[in-house]
Amino acid sequence: MSLIAVIDDDQDILEASSLILRARGFEVISANNPDDGYKIIKEKNPDLIILDVIMNEPDDGFFLAQKLRREKIATPIIMYTSIAKATGLDFTSGNMIPVDEFVEKPISPDELIAKVEKFLKR
Amino acid sequence: MVEDCKGHILVVDDEEALRTAVRRILEMEGFEVKEAHNGSEGISFGTTTEYDLALIDLKMPDRNGIEVLKEIRHTFPNTVCFMATAYASYETAVEATKLGADGYILKPFSPDELINQLNSGIRKRKLLLETERLKKEREESLLEVAFERTRLKTIINSITDGVIVINKKEELAYFNQAALKLLDVTYLPLGIPVTEHFPIEVAQLLSEKFFEVEEQQSSFSIEVEIKPNNELILEATFSPILQADGKLAGVVVVLKNITEFKRLELIKSQFVSMVAHELKAPIAASIGFIDIMRKPELNISQEQQIDFLNRTHGRLQSLLTMVNDLLDISRMELNKVTREIKEVIVEETIAEVAGLFTVELQKKDLTLSLPGPDEKHIIKVDQNEFLRLLTNLVSNAIKYNKEHGTIYITVKADAYYTVISVRDTGIGLRPEDKDRLFSEFFRAKNEFTKNIHGTGLGLSIVKRIIEAYSGKIECQSTYGEGTEFIISFPVIPIEQA
Repeated sequence: MSLIAVIDDDQDILEASSLILRARGFEVISANNPDDGYKIIKEKNPDLIILDVIMNEPDDGFFLAQKLRREKIATPIIMYTSIAKATGLDFTSGNMIPVDEFVEKPISPDELIAKVEKFLKR
Repeated sequence: MVEDCKGHILVVDDEEALRTAVRRILEMEGFEVKEAHNGSEGISFGTTTEYDLALIDLKMPDRNGIEVLKEIRHTFPNTVCFMATAYASYETAVEATKLGADGYILKPFSPDELINQLNSGIRKRKLLLETERLKKEREESLLEVAFERTRLKTIINSITDGVIVINKKEELAYFNQAALKLLDVTYLPLGIPVTEHFPIEVAQLLSEKFFEVEEQQSSFSIEVEIKPNNELILEATFSPILQADGKLAGVVVVLKNITEFKRLELIKSQFVSMVAHELKAPIAASIGFIDIMRKPELNISQEQQIDFLNRTHGRLQSLLTMVNDLLDISRMELNKVTREIKEVIVEETIAEVAGLFTVELQKKDLTLSLPGPDEKHIIKVDQNEFLRLLTNLVSNAIKYNKEHGTIYITVKADAYYTVISVRDTGIGLRPEDKDRLFSEFFRAKNEFTKNIHGTGLGLSIVKRIIEAYSGKIECQSTYGEGTEFIISFPVIPIEQA
């Protein structure tokens, strides 16, 4: 069974995401800050990482993704974005952000599952 | 004088018979005549009144005619002077003319000769006066131009925008003091190609834009970063100076310091995106829960559904609070708050606030230590606003307190301030968090705070309220031990109430 790490500082989002993923048969571990997130990734070596872009600080998720890539951790990363569209920031173009996929909040269960299953077989 | 009659004429001659004859002839012709009996009298008359014309005898016993001529000319250079002489010779004529006589009349002379001469003298006088008038006018207008230049220079130098003028050879033709300051240079020599003395980026820009102005022949503005990291940003407006034939004579560059404006613009857009993010978070969570409940295949239990509904309600409630807080902040920013200022007994309001939190205090088993029953401090505030301020502080003291903790509220006053302290025995603040405490949406995040909800606007509102009363707020905190907020209202003497 594939293991997914979800890292988001919003407890409600964390639980909702976990519930959707577990219902689909994935195993889920979670953390509500970048430091704990980093720890569980190193410990459990998940098959996929879901990472919120803004946590305690703007770009916390972005920095964690960079840190993982610097350490040659190539696990696919899906990034939750919040106001990318509103700020006119185009996350989806260019290679500036070392992640594989984006999901804009609010998260639709179908979209989340579809994007997760691009990387993982059930 | 010329306008009143045909002219005022001074006749200076020691021979009475001749004076009388001349006078008669001239008066018949419409001249006004004044007689002087000798040279001294001639000088006296001729230098006190400006005559149109003086007829001066060359040989007089006391002062000779030449002296009289000199004196009159010295005082009134435009009085036309004729010398009358019986000893006409080439030499005397030359000498008199050299000394400035306008002509000479030979004695004896016929009335016609005299009148002809004098008429031509009067024409000359008119010309002299006209010349004089024109000269004066010209001098005045030159003075005006010089004055105008000085004035323009003063104006240009006193404006805070930088002004630079570049001639068509791309040389610096003019600059004001503000330009030096804005371009971050101490000295600029005139007449030097602009590329040589400006900071390199500026020089390049000037040279580049010069051609653009030349081509477009219209004004345009650009932004230039003079010092890096947004330390100095200028808006440079380039306008062509055109000659009468439409060719470019030069370019005037007006430099405006827009650093502060850009800084505010950045703060504003950061604030907007922060607000957007904060508003979106509860919406995203709520939609997330609703989406889950709408999917039968997720098999959500009844119990779980109730939990999700409660949490959704909680998130939407906090969204509402946040919107209301934002509206309050906006009202405060726009100074649109109407305050009903009256005397309020601080201790009474504290008791009122304490009453609002009975349930929350019990839940966490917190002790609330209030001021003694005899204490009574009066401040002049809007009661609702003061209540809001205390509610926010006490609410924080409860939320960030530990179970079985205590909240101490004290009031004291000195000569200047009424000081209210709200101290908790809670989780405290990290030093780095303390600095950002009053920023909008800042919420301390650490192992203790993950289950504490809030908008991050409470203290920002508290600060704005206290500042509206010219008061101050301070925070003392030790991480893990507790936090104390000390607010000070300036004392307003009771008798002024």
